Amino acid sequence: MSTRARVTQIEPPAVTGGNALLILVGLGVAFLLITALLGAAKAGGNLFNESNLLYVALIFYAGAGALYMGFGVTGTAKYVKYASICTAIGFVANTLAVAHRWYLSGRPPFASIYEMLLSFVWTLALLTLVAEKKFGVKIIGSITMPLAVVCVILMQLLPSEVRPLVPALQSTWLHVHVTLAMLSYATCAVSFALAMMFLIKDSFSTESFLAWTSALVSGIYLGIVATRFERWGGLSVTAWDAQNKSDVFLGRGVRLFVTIPDLGWLFVIALLGALVPLALYFLARFRHNVSYLAVANKAVFVGIMLQLVVLGAFVLRTKDSTYASPFQDGLYPTSLAASPFMLGGMVAAIFASLLYLMLLWRRNDLQDLLPSGDTLDRVTYKTICIAFPLLTGMIATGAFWANRTWGSYWSWDPKETWAAITWLVYAGYLHMRVTRGWRGRRAAYFAILGFGVVIFTFLGVTYLLPGLHAYA
Amino acid sequence: MALDVLSIPKKIYRTLANLRTGVVLLILVVIASALGTFVLQRPVTEPDKLQAAYSPQTLRLLDRLTLTDIFHSWWFLSLLALVSMSIIFVSIERFPNAWRFFARPYRKTDSHFRSANPYKLELPIRQADQGLNAAERALEKLRWPVERIVDNGDTSLYAEKNRFSVMAVYLIHASLLLIFLGGIIDGVFGFSGFMAIPQGEQRNVIELKNGKTKQLPFSVQCKSAGQENYADGSPKRWWSKLAVVESGKEIEAKEIVVNDPLVYHGLRFYQASYWIDNKKVDGLRIAYSGMESTLMPLELRFNQPVNLDSETTAKLVEFLPDAFVRDGQVFKKTENLGNLAFALEVTNRADNSTTKIWLFPAEGNVVGAENVKFQFKNPTSAKDIDFSPVTGLEISYEPGQWFVWAGCLLMGVGLFVAFYMVHMRIWAVEVRDAQGKLVLWIGGAANKNKDRFEQKFSEVVAEIRNELDKSTPTGRPSVQQHSEHPVLTMVGTK
Repeated sequence: MSTRARVTQIEPPAVTGGNALLILVGLGVAFLLITALLGAAKAGGNLFNESNLLYVALIFYAGAGALYMGFGVTGTAKYVKYASICTAIGFVANTLAVAHRWYLSGRPPFASIYEMLLSFVWTLALLTLVAEKKFGVKIIGSITMPLAVVCVILMQLLPSEVRPLVPALQSTWLHVHVTLAMLSYATCAVSFALAMMFLIKDSFSTESFLAWTSALVSGIYLGIVATRFERWGGLSVTAWDAQNKSDVFLGRGVRLFVTIPDLGWLFVIALLGALVPLALYFLARFRHNVSYLAVANKAVFVGIMLQLVVLGAFVLRTKDSTYASPFQDGLYPTSLAASPFMLGGMVAAIFASLLYLMLLWRRNDLQDLLPSGDTLDRVTYKTICIAFPLLTGMIATGAFWANRTWGSYWSWDPKETWAAITWLVYAGYLHMRVTRGWRGRRAAYFAILGFGVVIFTFLGVTYLLPGLHAYA
Repeated sequence: MALDVLSIPKKIYRTLANLRTGVVLLILVVIASALGTFVLQRPVTEPDKLQAAYSPQTLRLLDRLTLTDIFHSWWFLSLLALVSMSIIFVSIERFPNAWRFFARPYRKTDSHFRSANPYKLELPIRQADQGLNAAERALEKLRWPVERIVDNGDTSLYAEKNRFSVMAVYLIHASLLLIFLGGIIDGVFGFSGFMAIPQGEQRNVIELKNGKTKQLPFSVQCKSAGQENYADGSPKRWWSKLAVVESGKEIEAKEIVVNDPLVYHGLRFYQASYWIDNKKVDGLRIAYSGMESTLMPLELRFNQPVNLDSETTAKLVEFLPDAFVRDGQVFKKTENLGNLAFALEVTNRADNSTTKIWLFPAEGNVVGAENVKFQFKNPTSAKDIDFSPVTGLEISYEPGQWFVWAGCLLMGVGLFVAFYMVHMRIWAVEVRDAQGKLVLWIGGAANKNKDRFEQKFSEVVAEIRNELDKSTPTGRPSVQQHSEHPVLTMVGTK
C-alpha cells in the first residue's frame, strides 16, 4: 500500500557541528543558575531552600529535555549522554528539595497535589536513570523529561505552603498508600515510554504516530474548548484569590469563573490547527495519496507555532488580571495559578508535537540508538510486573486506611473505582501476555492504554469527578 | 439432534469456564463501573445536588435505569457473581493439569525430550558415572536439591527449584475470591450508620445509612468531646472520651480520634465529626454583685448550684436559643440562635424562696430579679458561654473485612511467587552422542524470566565442568572443548 511507504521528510536541518547545542545548553543552564543565584541572594534567606532547589531541578530537567530534543534535530548521539548527566544532576537537586520539605514539615511530602507532583517527578527521574543504566534504554528521557518539566511547571503555579494535615490525613497508612501510588504511577509512566520506544523500533509507521499525536493534541484542545469556551469567543477560567492563594469558591465545591474575552477564539484556532494534520492523514489514507502526508507534517509544524502563540496569549492575559464573571457582578482577578491543568495540557501538547517532529526527522538514528524490539518488549513486561504489585498494594493500603478513617474499605468512590479499573487493565495486559502469548505490538498498545487510564485516574478523577478523595 | 445437545448446566459451565467469556465479563464490569463514576450515585450524593445536576425527567430516567445506584443494582451484582463463577470454573478446568504437573514435573530424558528441550549442552566424559557424579557434586555445591532417578536401569539426575511457583496463579485467583467473599458477607451482614451523642449523655440507637434504625444491646456514653485547632484555626484533631455502658455499668472506656476508633463486639465507632449544639449550654460565666457593689465573677455549670453567700445559691437551669418576653413571661421563639436567654434559679435558704431570673445577653437586660438581693450582669462575650459539644460517630460493622484483608495478604504472596519465584529444572543423563562417544547431556528449563535462567544455566554448566576437571587425573585434558560456548538453543518465543 502506498501509504505505508516512507514519509517524505520536510527539510530537516543539516547536521550542525557536534558541540554547538551542548555549548548552547550549557550556557543556558549556567545563565539560569547564575540569575537564580543572584535573585536568591538578593531575596536573602536560605539559599538552599526547597523552592530554589526545585528551580535548579527544573533547569536541569529542562536542559536534559532540550538535549534530547537537540538530538532529535541534529542527530548527534553524544547529546544523549549529556542529557543523562543533566537528568542525574536534576535528580540530586530534586532529592534535596524533597528532603528539605520533609525536614520543614516533619512528614514526607504527600498531603497536597503540589507535594504529590514533587514525589512523582522525583520517582520519574529515578526510574529514568534506572532504565537508562540497568536496561540500556538510553533515550527514555526524551519522553520522561518533558513530562517532568510539565509537572514542575505545574508545581510552580500551585500553592506550595506546608499545610498542616486535616484530621483524616494523619495516619502512617497515608504515607504507605501514597508512596505506593507514586511509585506505581511513575513505573506505569516508564512502561508507557518503553512501549512507545518499542513502537518506534518496531517500525510503527510514522504516519500513524502523526495521526495519534494530532488526535492527542486535538483532544486536549477539544477538552478545553468544550468546557471553557464562552459565548461569544471568551474563555472561562477560575477566579483566583491572591490573598488566600486559592480558587474563589461560591459555595462548597462550586468555583467562580471569569471570562477572558476573545481568548476562546484563539483556542478554537489552535484546535483547528491540530485537526488539520489529522484530517490530512485520513485524506492520505482514503485517497491513497502520500503527498497529503508531506502537507500534514508541515501542518504539524505550523500547528506548533500556533500553539506557542496561543500559549503566549494565555499566559499574558491570565497573569494577574481582572475580568468579569457571568455568575455575579463585578470584576474578579485570575492568575496562571488558577488554571494549572490547562497550562499543563497546553505545554504537554506542544511537547507531544515536538516529539513527533523529532521522530519524523531522526527516526533512523532513534531506532539505531534503541535496543532491540524484543528487549524493549521484555523490559516493558518487566516494568509492568513491578507496577502491578505496587498498584495492588496501593489499592489494598488505601482500602485499609479508608476503613480506619471512614469505616468502610470500599465505597465505590470515583477515585477508588478508577484505581480498580486501572488495576483491571494492567491485569488484562498480564493475562493476555501469559495466557494468550500477546507480545510486541498488541502488548505495547495495551501498555499505552493502561497509562492513559492511569492519567485519568490520577488527574481526571480529581478535577472532573468530585468525591471523598478530594484531597488530591 | 438430541444426541449432540449438551445439557444446559454443562453448556453454562463451558461458557463460563472460557477465558474469552471472562474477558467480556470484565470489560462489562469496567464499563459499568466507569458509568458509576460519571453518573451521580444516590448513596453518596445529597438529594439537592442530584436535583441541581439533572432535570426531573433525566433524573427519573436515570433512576428507572438504576444508573443512580449502579454498584448496588441487581445487574451489577450479577456481573460480579458471574465473574466470580468464571474464575472458579476456569480454575477448576485448569487446576488438574497444573496439579499433575506439580506432583510430577519430572520428564523422561529420552532422545525426543533431549532434542526438543530449549536449553541443552553435551559435555564429553571418559567413563560411566563420572559425568553424573560430577554433575551431582556441582549441583549440590550450587545448592540445588538433586535426586537420582532410575528408570529401566538408566540413571539420570534431576534438580529443581521453586516448584511452588506453578501454583501462584491459583493463589492469586483464590485471593480474589476471598476478597469477594468478604465483600458479600459485609453486604449481607454488615451495616454502617451514624450516632450523635451530646456531651455527657449516652445513646444506644444507630441511624443506619439506609434510613432505618438499629438498637444496640449496650449504650455509648460521651463523657467529653473537644476540638484542637492549628494556629491558623483549621481543625487539627477531634477527640471524644467514650465509654461503653451495659446494664448501668461502664465496661470499657477509650478516647477516640479520627483514624483511631473504639471497637466493641465487632462494632467500630469512628470519630467522624464534631459540632456545637446551639440548643444546649454546659456552662456560663457572668458577674454578680451584692450589697457591696463590687463585681465578682460567677462560674455556673448547668444544674449545679453555686453559693452566692451563706444562705443564697444560684443555679443555671434553662437555656433558650431564641426567646421573647410578653407580660413578664419568657417564651421560646425559634430553635435557631437569636435572642439568647439564660434562666438562673436563685434559692434563699433563709426564707425558702426560689426566684427564676432571666438574662438576655443580646439586649443586656435582666428580667425577674426585682426581689433578689443580688445584681447579675450578662455575659460579655461568646467566650463566656459554653455551648455543649456533640460528637458525631460513624459506626460500622463489617464482619467480612477479615476475609478481605486475608485475601489482600494472600494476593501479595501470590504476586510475589508469580513474579519473583522461577520454577527451574535441570536434568543430567549420560548418553552416547551421534558419534557413539560417551557424553553427559545437561538440559534446563524455566517457566519465566528466561534471560536470567540462561545465566543460571551457564553457572551450573561451568561448575559441572569444574567438577569434571577435578575428577579426571591430571596431565590429560579432560573436557575436550568442542566449543567454548554452550549451545543454548531456544525453541519458541520467550
